[in-house]
Amino acid sequence: MRNLFAFIYRFRAFLLFVLLEVLCVFLIVRYNTYQGAAFFNSATKYAGQVLEFQSGVTDYFRLASINNTLARENALLREELLDFRKQSITDSTQSLDTTYYASADTLKQYPYLLHAGRVINNSVRRTNNYLTLSIGAADGVKPGMGVIASNGTVGRIKTVSEKYATVTSLLHSQLLISAKIKKSNTFGTIKWTGGNYRLANLEYIPLHVKPAKGDTIVTSGFNTVFPEGIMVGTISSVEKEMDKSFYTIKVKLAVDFAQLSYVYVVENPYKAERDTLEQNAGILPDEQ
Amino acid sequence: MNSSFGIKYIVQFILFVALQILLMDNLVLFSTGFCFIYVAFLLFLPIGINKVWLLFLGFLVGFTVDIFYDTMGIHAAASVLLAYLRTHLLNLLTPRDGYDTNDAANIHIMGWRWYLVYTFTLLLFHHLAVFFLETISFGTVWYTLLKVVASTLFTGIVLIIVQLLFFSSKRASRT
Repeated sequence: MRNLFAFIYRFRAFLLFVLLEVLCVFLIVRYNTYQGAAFFNSATKYAGQVLEFQSGVTDYFRLASINNTLARENALLREELLDFRKQSITDSTQSLDTTYYASADTLKQYPYLLHAGRVINNSVRRTNNYLTLSIGAADGVKPGMGVIASNGTVGRIKTVSEKYATVTSLLHSQLLISAKIKKSNTFGTIKWTGGNYRLANLEYIPLHVKPAKGDTIVTSGFNTVFPEGIMVGTISSVEKEMDKSFYTIKVKLAVDFAQLSYVYVVENPYKAERDTLEQNAGILPDEQ
Repeated sequence: MNSSFGIKYIVQFILFVALQILLMDNLVLFSTGFCFIYVAFLLFLPIGINKVWLLFLGFLVGFTVDIFYDTMGIHAAASVLLAYLRTHLLNLLTPRDGYDTNDAANIHIMGWRWYLVYTFTLLLFHHLAVFFLETISFGTVWYTLLKVVASTLFTGIVLIIVQLLFFSSKRASRT
């Protein structure tokens, strides 16, 4: 017995080294999935405060570009608003009695809710990139919600604390987004594989469709995370490889992740209902 | 563990980790050269430090960076590896007459050759661990290796600059 203790004492550094490494590997395996709650992350109170202080300083250097983005978005929204006004003047279905007119699609009646949040931490050059937002559970953000910017998809909420939230960026090797080619309605999966942060892959587009350079890619709306028709990007190159049954398509992302300042967290009020329905029906949740 | 150890190295810890999170996070050269300056805290610890303590400190500093980088465990694992290897490398690099009591991992005291071998060897292992744990796969091995080499050079040069600027040569140098 004494020899055993002597042995442990002699190799205490090595044993501790192995122990700590095992702990680290456990942490990596357990918490480095693209989704799943980690207890320690940049959404915790103190880490969030440090990052908020940092972005409070650096944001001043980007005010011009932030203002530009917001002004452009305002113009776009105003345009859409005018369209709606024009439509409501020419279209009289709203004033019809429900006895004669039953609205069929509930999704049209209950839109998605958006929560605006400021990006206080961001990265684009790692293999797995995350963002931190200064908006949290107190504002109604929950893990699993989608995140969009004014010009396209950004990612999914990973964890939330009271005032902060972390987002798995689209620039994460394990995040998949269900998307479709707008022109032909063919759906595939958007996946980022590292390297250039402006380019992602569109996978599983079968060979019988004819995607062309410049085609618009939007979200499919087949899952409860993103609404249908949110811009993802445009096709920048299409390749047909000899022994593959799918195209190799590169997509230029609409969002410039290096310039992100304000984003919107998408809340789907019917997410729980749809998810339980699909689960009860035995449909496995699709890759997001 | 005397009191001067406490204050000086706690300040270094906070300083290097703050530099890492606030400044170096945004400073990536050609999207391949990363600077992990927080490693300097482990490299600049006194030579005679208890190796068990060193492992704990390695875990602590790596874990702190992990929290801000959202890379749970990756930097901690690499830093513990560095802390473990540091003890052995110091034994290998022992000067002919052993270490003096006032020796520290300092470019002015130990000389250029000793310092360069010490820093770049440990940085190489640390960066190898970080980048390969990050990708897990060996699919993009050449790109990852390029990142390792570029980042090792970048961090190493930054550490030399830090040494030359902030560590005085006033204390008696080794002959």
